[in-house]
Amino acid sequence: MAELIIETTNLTRNYGDICALKPLDLQVPEGEWLTVMGHSGSGKSTLMNLVGGLDRPSAGSLQVGGKDLLAFTEDGLARFRREFVGIIFQQHHLVPYLTAVENVMLAQYFHSVPDEAEARSSLERVGLGHRLKNRPGELSGGEQQRVCIARAIINSPKLLLGDEPTGNLDQKSTLMVMELLKELRAEEKFTVIMVTHNQEVAAWGDRTIYLNDGMLVREESRLKVAEV
Amino acid sequence: MATLLKLIPHLFAWFGIVLIMLRGFSGRRSSVMLAGMIGFVIGVTGTFILFRSYPGSVTFGVVKSVLGMSFILLWGCSVVAIYRSTDRAKVMSWGKRLIKTPSTAIIASCLAGVGAGAVCTCRLSAATTDGVAMASVLLLLAAGAVAYIALAFEKRMPEAFKVSPAGMLAIVTALLLFSASSILRLDLFSPLSMKVMKGVHDFVHQFMESILIPDHLFVRSYIWKTIGLLFSKEVGFWGGMVIWFTPAILIVLAIQFERLPAVAHIRQGAQRRRVLVDAIRARRYRALIPVFALLLLAAATYQSCFPSVEYWDPKPLPVTAGSSGEIIIPKKGEINLEDGKLHKYIFRQGVKEARFFVLMTPAGELTVDLDACAICKPDGYGQAEGSVICYYCKTLIPLETVGKPGGCNPVPIPFTENGDSVVVDGLTLINSWSATVQATARVKEGGK
Repeated sequence: MAELIIETTNLTRNYGDICALKPLDLQVPEGEWLTVMGHSGSGKSTLMNLVGGLDRPSAGSLQVGGKDLLAFTEDGLARFRREFVGIIFQQHHLVPYLTAVENVMLAQYFHSVPDEAEARSSLERVGLGHRLKNRPGELSGGEQQRVCIARAIINSPKLLLGDEPTGNLDQKSTLMVMELLKELRAEEKFTVIMVTHNQEVAAWGDRTIYLNDGMLVREESRLKVAEV
Repeated sequence: MATLLKLIPHLFAWFGIVLIMLRGFSGRRSSVMLAGMIGFVIGVTGTFILFRSYPGSVTFGVVKSVLGMSFILLWGCSVVAIYRSTDRAKVMSWGKRLIKTPSTAIIASCLAGVGAGAVCTCRLSAATTDGVAMASVLLLLAAGAVAYIALAFEKRMPEAFKVSPAGMLAIVTALLLFSASSILRLDLFSPLSMKVMKGVHDFVHQFMESILIPDHLFVRSYIWKTIGLLFSKEVGFWGGMVIWFTPAILIVLAIQFERLPAVAHIRQGAQRRRVLVDAIRARRYRALIPVFALLLLAAATYQSCFPSVEYWDPKPLPVTAGSSGEIIIPKKGEINLEDGKLHKYIFRQGVKEARFFVLMTPAGELTVDLDACAICKPDGYGQAEGSVICYYCKTLIPLETVGKPGGCNPVPIPFTENGDSVVVDGLTLINSWSATVQATARVKEGGK
């Protein structure tokens, strides 16, 4: 049995009177690909933000990589994010006036020191060796998402979070991105937690959990989905 | 109480010394604390005994020599540090091993304590002559408390804040020099700049004597105009500055030149970069210490150039000669010549004038001297803390030696004591002033 990379107990997040995430117990073993599904407002992104150290829970405990995130100061959380987590957003969030390689180097800069050779090689790994000097506006949606992946993995995170990374992509680009993630995960051995609405994308994961109105309502392993 | 207040800056320096020693010899807190405090007690009691056994000038001389030696040691270490940074000094690993031994930590802490204790006792002695023993006891108690606070503070400092051995020596020496610079007779920068000035002058004279400087009619004025620059006061100051700051600058450079760890074998890029950035950050932290030492040395220079000591410098009183040409100054009256203070007078004869002073030395003898020496421009003297100071070159002349000729001592004038008055020959005074002081002033101003 692999060690747990994420372990939550009664994890709760309230925004005023609204309970975005109701007490949640969740365990994610190291190296697993977990997909989170649910309707809009079901608490998927809230969960992602909590696990990624972008937000703090209202109650409960949250252990990521054996560390209690509630005990971290703001600086500690920032360090945790830059050293432990890689995030891929649906909207890319690339800096528009920087080239692809510079966007990747930016992540290196905040982590430690920029290394252009390494950033180039990372982009080459995601198949963008010929687009190094292009700005985001000059890239297609799929290519931009691949830059995001290169940026997310450049600091060798233990945990890769994807918040609907294929939400804006066509089927062909989606397939390309998912294959790339699968390949990188096999090489780098990171854990993936991915939010999606797409059942086909969810099928790439080892396990899927369903949230509804902030509650965990269903959980399916890949084998079970396959059976279904 | 006022005397104890004057010790506050020195106790701050002691705090810094303890803090840096504790961090520099990390893992040896108790031995560093104990050795440092023992050293401080030795410094205080040793200096106290010296003051009791010998004249103050001897004690100040001893403490000043100790400080001078620590500065020379700093110079040596800075040169070694910069040499090591060139990566040609593989054979010098014994030095690294030596620094890590417990005995080095104990000896270094003890010596630093001795220096700090001695400087504090000099401050006590310079500030007051009464109750020094009691004040010394209070000083020891205060030093113990300060060391304890430093220990508590050091435990809360971030782990990343590390001190290199050379940086530790730089900051400890700088703290000692800064502490000493507020005591006129322990200040090292003024004598250093004087030595530089004298060295330059001697160098030029040697060249002249060796006839290495061309002395032809066509070039003479040009050459002397250029050489004259070397005789300015600024040469001593800037030369002293170079010698004063170079060791700390060399240590900063040595830290900056330190090689980063080899990372080529680390396969994962992020880990490789993390190792590099950690090494760069640690190097920056280490460089902070000698940079701070530079600031302290700058503060010491400032204190040396603009001492906070208030000099006793009375306005010269005009005196006249009688029909026999003699100036008669009563020993007691409006002014008491035997109060141990400098009493200045000015004598005018036609267009000529001469400044002089009367002083009773600690030996109980009256002395009459020109308010100028035979070397410097006649800027005069002030009196403070058991010495008179030449305003031009900032040389301190112990009161015991005032009245003796030579060097930067005030030029003594023959006089007689006639019962209740001091008698000086006016013509001798004017001639003496004209012959030595005004001639010297012309030499300095003309650059030749």
